Amino acid sequence: MDQGATNRVYKFSEIIADPAIGACWQKVRKYFFLRESTYDMSNRCNIRCEGCYYFNGEKQFAKENLNVSDWKHLMEGEKERGITFVVLAGAEPSLVPQLCQTCYDVIPLGCIASNGLNVLPREIDYRIHISVWGNDQTSLEIRKAKDMLARQMVNYQDDPRAVWVYTFTPVNIDQAREVTELLAANGQQITFNMFSSPVGYSGHLRHTPETLAHTRATMSELLAEFPQTVLFSPYNIVAHTHTRGLHDLFSCSYPRMNPSTAIGLGRSFRQYRTDLQWDRAAACCVPDTDCDDCRHYAAGSAVVTARMYRHATDPTTFSAWLDYVDTYLAVWVRGYEKSAPLCKQLIEPPDLVES
Amino acid sequence: MNTDISQTITRIAEIIINELKLEDVTPETFDADLDLIDEVGVDSMDLATIALVLRDEYGIRIDEDDYPKLTTIRIIAEYIDNKLKSDD
Repeated sequence: MDQGATNRVYKFSEIIADPAIGACWQKVRKYFFLRESTYDMSNRCNIRCEGCYYFNGEKQFAKENLNVSDWKHLMEGEKERGITFVVLAGAEPSLVPQLCQTCYDVIPLGCIASNGLNVLPREIDYRIHISVWGNDQTSLEIRKAKDMLARQMVNYQDDPRAVWVYTFTPVNIDQAREVTELLAANGQQITFNMFSSPVGYSGHLRHTPETLAHTRATMSELLAEFPQTVLFSPYNIVAHTHTRGLHDLFSCSYPRMNPSTAIGLGRSFRQYRTDLQWDRAAACCVPDTDCDDCRHYAAGSAVVTARMYRHATDPTTFSAWLDYVDTYLAVWVRGYEKSAPLCKQLIEPPDLVES
Repeated sequence: MNTDISQTITRIAEIIINELKLEDVTPETFDADLDLIDEVGVDSMDLATIALVLRDEYGIRIDEDDYPKLTTIRIIAEYIDNKLKSDD
């Protein structure tokens, strides 16, 4: 399967007639009903990390609402307007487990972004994304917390909800191997994120073309060596380490960058602050991120996934897109099992292929 | 009503019913002016899937930027008709 090797125009029906492609297509399309919104749960965190998305911009100053009835009412309203998947994030949701439980009781599909230093009750059966920013020495420097990985691994030992999210910064690229090896030895799983600068950030964590290339090579090695541990695909690697950011490559569909309210994320997505208010102008999965530098894993999960039509050009390109969606579902949805990649090559996003 | 448009409307209705597995409606009874997003519950991924099937059927490209405009079967039929005419 060579992308762009011929000028042949494929019908969609021809592409999905391939048994492997067709099977994956049928597997992922069952989840097209997922409609997400995100929620800041608390304005507190038990650690303070350099470059944290939450403690940038206005949202950190929103009043905290700890009233369970108010949250239940919010969730019921969200369900009513068609939201089927919740992402509970900022600042540290594990500090308010009663609110997470309330969300789960109303909308049972979702994900919690946590630093993993507190254990969330098993009854809250969401996917749990545990953030890791390097080895424990680096975490101590950037996150001011001792023995983070060791503590996270103990807290979420044998917990099928947990997936570690390794955020690549220019200073921790070579530590990803050490972390992946530890998680693999412990039977745990990891996926990859890219540090994406908050608006106005010009510090040393901002990626450069050189660090993007270094990250790409490292991700490729780890994915090849630890296929059972690493939840990623070759096309994820391309999309998230490209010199052009996600918006430039795929046109971000979150409200912040998408004026249309007619359909899709532009219509349904909201990013609620801790006071249960939301602002369309700021609504995105990582508010206050510099859109030109955004390679965030959560953004890609929606932005790349939404661009199915443009990937349905040939079997290779569509396979790469299917791999991306399969990975997204495995990372975000409890119980979804990732398949082996259909496309093992690093292919360029469709609009960048020379005709 | 233009016969060609009428046939296109019926075919689009058939495709939508098939792709979305809609029940209690046939291509003949599907209201061509029903709002697909508000009244049928079509989302962006559904629309992208329908657009790919229509691409196969009519040999036209449906720009992703045009999705928000394609709110009813009649509008989609007219969109296809215009695309086919402009290709002539």
